[in-house]
Amino acid sequence: MSPPRRTKFYLDKHNAKWSGVCAGIADYTGIDVTVVRIGTVAAVLLGSGTPILIYLAAAWLAPRKPIELYEQRPEDTKFWQGVRANPKRTTRDVRSRFRELDRRLADVETYVTSSNGRLSREIENLR
Amino acid sequence: MGSEIIVIPAIFIALPWIIFHYITQWKRAGSLTSEDENLLDELHELSRRLDDRLCTIERIMTAENPNWRSVACDPASIGIADESVRRIG
Repeated sequence: MSPPRRTKFYLDKHNAKWSGVCAGIADYTGIDVTVVRIGTVAAVLLGSGTPILIYLAAAWLAPRKPIELYEQRPEDTKFWQGVRANPKRTTRDVRSRFRELDRRLADVETYVTSSNGRLSREIENLR
Repeated sequence: MGSEIIVIPAIFIALPWIIFHYITQWKRAGSLTSEDENLLDELHELSRRLDDRLCTIERIMTAENPNWRSVACDPASIGIADESVRRIG
C-alpha cells in the first residue's frame, strides 16, 4: 500500500467538534481551529444557507484523515502545511537548508584539512 | 431598495468569485504529484538527518578545540597550521 497523500484535505475526526470539517481545515492550513470555527459560524449566519450546504458536502465527500498522519512530528505537520500553502517556497527552503549544510561542512573540512595535528602526525609517521 | 444593489451582486458574483479563486489555488497546490511529494518528504528527512549529524560533528570539534571556527576561517592566524606545515616540511 502506498503512503497516504499529505497534500489532500481530510476530515480530522480526532479533533472534531461535530464532523471534523473545521478541524480538517485548521489542520490543512495551519490556522487555529477556534478561528476557523468562529469563521464558519459567521459565514453560516451571514451566508443564507450556502455555507451550510458547503459544510455538509465537505463532511460527506472528504475522506477521513489516515491514522499514519496523526503520528507525524509537529515540525513535519508544519512543514506539510507549508507545502500545501506554497510548494515552490518550501522547495526553495529545502534547497537553502542543503546549502547551509554545505557551507557548515565546508568549514569543518577546512579546519580538518588545514590544521589537524593528528593528520599531520599520521603523515609524519608515513615518512 | 438601495441596499439590494450592493447585497445581490455581493452574493451572486463576489462569493462565487472568491470560492472559485480558492478552488483554483487548491488545484495548483494539488498539482504536486505523488512522486514529487515522496521526493520532497525524503529530502526534508535527509536534510534533518544531515543537520543532526553535522551538529554532532561540530559539538565534538568544539570540545576538542573551542575556537576551531576561527581556525577554519584563517589557519595561519592561530599558529597551529604553521606548526603542522613545518613538521611536514
